[in-house]
Amino acid sequence: MSKVKMKRTGFVLDMTPLVDIAFLLLTFFMFTAKFKSEAESEQKFQIKRPKASADTSKIPDKNLAIIKIAIDSANIGDTSYYYEMTNEKDRAVVYATAKGIDDAQRLKMQIKATLPNLEELVQETRIQNPSTKFAIDADKRIRFKWLNDCMDVMRKKKATAFNLVTDKKQGM
Amino acid sequence: MAGGGTLGAGRERAKRGKPSKRKKKKRVGFVLDMTPLVDIAFLLLTFFMFTTTMTTPQIMQMFIPPDPTDVEVKMSELFTLRVRGDDKVFYNPGIDEPQLVLLKDLKKMMVEANIKLKNRLITVLKVDDNASYDVVIKVLDELNLAEADITPALLKDFNLPRERRFTIAPMTEKDLEEIKPL
Repeated sequence: MSKVKMKRTGFVLDMTPLVDIAFLLLTFFMFTAKFKSEAESEQKFQIKRPKASADTSKIPDKNLAIIKIAIDSANIGDTSYYYEMTNEKDRAVVYATAKGIDDAQRLKMQIKATLPNLEELVQETRIQNPSTKFAIDADKRIRFKWLNDCMDVMRKKKATAFNLVTDKKQGM
Repeated sequence: MAGGGTLGAGRERAKRGKPSKRKKKKRVGFVLDMTPLVDIAFLLLTFFMFTTTMTTPQIMQMFIPPDPTDVEVKMSELFTLRVRGDDKVFYNPGIDEPQLVLLKDLKKMMVEANIKLKNRLITVLKVDDNASYDVVIKVLDELNLAEADITPALLKDFNLPRERRFTIAPMTEKDLEEIKPL
């Protein structure tokens, strides 16, 4: 008896549960995903945030001005300030009106700033939108001096309430 | 079709008129090729899985005093914490001699000192320019953690709502002198 090779035509596998789970996960990740802001994708440094114990406070994303104190990845040891704003309308005005800023930087998302620049930027931000919240996002490896200088600027411009950005400590 | 008797009363109406000749065909073996759907679903799924970061940054609120104004406070109500350039933390209540404190003991100490003075304690943090920011955050974190113990303790023992008094002050030459030999 010759064996006839049976072609398995019409072989079907019930994929319904698979699809169910896949879509469940897909929707979960879609809703939890948060994309990097444009400013973050163009920045050349990465901030290693200090770790603090878990807290329910989340960083506000509306009307936020962030002062970043970062160590340049190109030249280690070179610390600089960066200024960033989340509200696009305010940002356009503030970046255009603040004095003493390099013109090439005015159209960027993020301004590399010196202390006098920062002072000017903070002031303009407060004039433009007094409800703007401030946050200082600093690398944990920096010396306190950088933060202290930054706080002096804030104090001078009467922005005495601000937030320090930290990362959640794991395993707590 | 099944006889009306076995069905519920609500179905009686359907029996009126001509009995339907159509047999309800059960759609057995109906399959839809879901392969492209699954392909796309998994593609998107992997994309979102790789792009999401699960740890969102959190914040620590800070309030700094506006322009340095001279406010008279009792020395006995002061609790000074000093962070030296080599990241060592010193504390001294009132006018006592500063003493070295380890980060892990800080919380317990703060809780005790605060409960003893019932809300009147003013914590002053002074940080050397050369101290690392990481240590400053650790100290602030310990202070925040201590709040979680102080608030219920005050409420329970003295029925007092917690009023936090904390400030960050500049490190002066005199401060540095005091903790230098330690």
